[in-house]
Amino acid sequence: MTDLTQGIAIVTGAGGGLGRALAVDLSQSMTVVGLGRDLAALDDTRRLARDGMFHGIEADVSDINSVSHAFDKAKAHGKITLLVNNAAQYPRRDFTEETADSFMKVVATNLGGTIACTRAALDDMLETGFGRILNVATFADIAPLPASSAYSVSKGAARIFTRALIADIGDRFPGIVVNDWMPGMLATRMGIPDGLAPEQAAKWGAQLALWHDPSLTGTTWEMDREIPPPRSLKRRIADRVLMKPRVASRRLP
Amino acid sequence: MQAHLSDIRDTHWDAIVIGTGVGGGVAGRALAKAGMKVLFLEKGRAGFRAEETAIDLGMGDPVARAIRGFWPDPISVDLDGRRQQLLAPLGAGLGGSSVFYAATLERPEPHDLDNLPDRPHPTGGWPVGFEAMQPWFDAAQTMFHIHGDPDPLSDIPSPCVAPAHPAAPGDAMIMDRLRGNGLHPYRLHTAVKRLAGCGDCLGHKCPRACKMDGRSAGVEPALATGNATLLTDCEVTRLVRNADGSVRVETSQDGAALTLSARHVVLAAGALSSPRLLLASASARDPQGIGNGADLVGRNLMFHLNEIFALWPGKAAGFAGPSKSVGFRDLYFAEGQRLGMVQAMGIDVGYGEIVHHLRGRVARSWLRRMPGAMDLTRIPAAIGAKLMGTAKVFVGLLEDLPYAENRVVLDADNPGLISLEYRVSEELLARRKLFRRLIRKSFKGTRTAFLTQEPEPNFGHPCGTLRMGVDVGKSVVNADCRVHDVPNLWVADASVFPTSMGVNPSLTIAANALRVADRIKDSR
Repeated sequence: MTDLTQGIAIVTGAGGGLGRALAVDLSQSMTVVGLGRDLAALDDTRRLARDGMFHGIEADVSDINSVSHAFDKAKAHGKITLLVNNAAQYPRRDFTEETADSFMKVVATNLGGTIACTRAALDDMLETGFGRILNVATFADIAPLPASSAYSVSKGAARIFTRALIADIGDRFPGIVVNDWMPGMLATRMGIPDGLAPEQAAKWGAQLALWHDPSLTGTTWEMDREIPPPRSLKRRIADRVLMKPRVASRRLP
Repeated sequence: MQAHLSDIRDTHWDAIVIGTGVGGGVAGRALAKAGMKVLFLEKGRAGFRAEETAIDLGMGDPVARAIRGFWPDPISVDLDGRRQQLLAPLGAGLGGSSVFYAATLERPEPHDLDNLPDRPHPTGGWPVGFEAMQPWFDAAQTMFHIHGDPDPLSDIPSPCVAPAHPAAPGDAMIMDRLRGNGLHPYRLHTAVKRLAGCGDCLGHKCPRACKMDGRSAGVEPALATGNATLLTDCEVTRLVRNADGSVRVETSQDGAALTLSARHVVLAAGALSSPRLLLASASARDPQGIGNGADLVGRNLMFHLNEIFALWPGKAAGFAGPSKSVGFRDLYFAEGQRLGMVQAMGIDVGYGEIVHHLRGRVARSWLRRMPGAMDLTRIPAAIGAKLMGTAKVFVGLLEDLPYAENRVVLDADNPGLISLEYRVSEELLARRKLFRRLIRKSFKGTRTAFLTQEPEPNFGHPCGTLRMGVDVGKSVVNADCRVHDVPNLWVADASVFPTSMGVNPSLTIAANALRVADRIKDSR
């Protein structure tokens, strides 16, 4: 297989916000299976998507069994070539008001969901050596905001997971392209009122998801541009002195 | 096709093949095709078929190495009296080392095997001569879908080598250049089918049955016959004598012992491990190990010395792309000496590689203790790249000759460890000097630079450790590659080579494995 659109895309959290916009956008290019907890919301996504190209499956990504059933059903529509790990929750709670249980429920969705869906999607991708995994990520882990501990920790861990996954499969399966994408501040339930329209962000996200270039593996993108890995001041000066060639960061066309 | 362990244990196999590299894969395929029930035993894993893993000598973690099909542990080498642990380019998984190879299957020259009046053979000649081997070379070339040009310096036909695939622009350019230097380049004999979308998987696993190796040309077609079974994660620990002198096989599968028996046992664990297994099989009956009555098991270990050099054909040539499959045999036998062939390595040295090379040299020198010295190598490399453009990298394979003191030894405390003693002989150093001088002379007027400074044995090309011969006192296996005093134990890897030849070993391993399989069929 050499074409993502010959298989199917799985988008988690497809019942609203960015996930819905991503699913609608991707449905223009390929069959999309959207996972979500609310069937009615998934049905609304279906109405917005291209005719016959979207299938909603009720699933709670924090529940490993539920994910497993959903992927079994999804496979009826084709081989999974694309996974967009989008589902997340961002409850605004101070840690003094969290219980260990409420905290870990967020981890189960934001980190556990990514892990369960990635593992399930890899079954097809490891067999063909071909696929694309786009993890919707944030910079929340770098300087956690107040009342965001569970979100910051789980999304930060998900970014570590992206790197750990690449350490395990990056050299063996160059045809499975994995990277993180930060959509920016969005005007969604999880975002801010005067944020970006999710449909605009989704255009970039879908474009990036459909871009199957092995050199994308391990890169981080924010909105429509590649974010080069951070370098310390010392490193930057040293690179300049040592004539290390500069690599230009890419931008979506 | 993984069968149940109990079924495997209870089957009396026609043949158990130990190791799934080129030798084991090809022998097992030939036996299965002849209708024999064959069991392949592989220490490593099957892996995913779609993997494109490249051999990575920088990856040290044994768990990560094992899952990628690399030999998990460092090998212990006493090199010129200095004991060191190093990561060798060896595989341990389905297909063995061959899934990582560059698929260059070159036929040796008659003098590699035969004792010729003008080219005396250091061992008096192989017990099977070039002419006897020729049909097996042909058969192996067919089986491995070899493509390439006939060597312009040879008058021995290669009817089973298909015409070379269309040349990369870099190849055509470099061949003109070599001809201009009076050399006789040809397109190397390559075991790549070039299926549509071929990724030219030289140096890494091929995700399809396009590059022909121990897996795609051996085990997989063997399994397709329905007569063969594969057991992975299964390490053979000992061979044990039966009452009639034949051997059975003791294995460890996930730490559990499992004994398997067969009419024939084909040892093809590679020249570093096959002798180790025989040494580890010592008993009251065979106090020095099986087949070791003449104290020869593990001895006469040979490698090739890799003489790697860069050639700057001029700035314009740099744009033509890397040359992948060009070689020449002008220096194969020169000034009365056995040297070897020269091949393009399929890489252009640009900025990054020069940095890497300089770093390697710094890492081996006293400068390694100077903070920042590694980074400083970037400056001369950047200047070098700007001045000279890109270089083509070639390797000269220098034949190694057999010496009894160069050998594989058994580490009694750790029988799974590959442990070697190897000394670079004065005679080899002298031929090395000659080889390098002749290489330099061949490229007069073109800038060249040797990238190897110290003699570098190619640990991926071991051979010789279970020498084939007629005389029981001077060899381990007979001319049919059966261990002298064991009626059912055969060897089908490079261990049996009396000499290392001036070419890559794979074609000869495959050809000889076909010959051994034929003898096994005849002996039933």
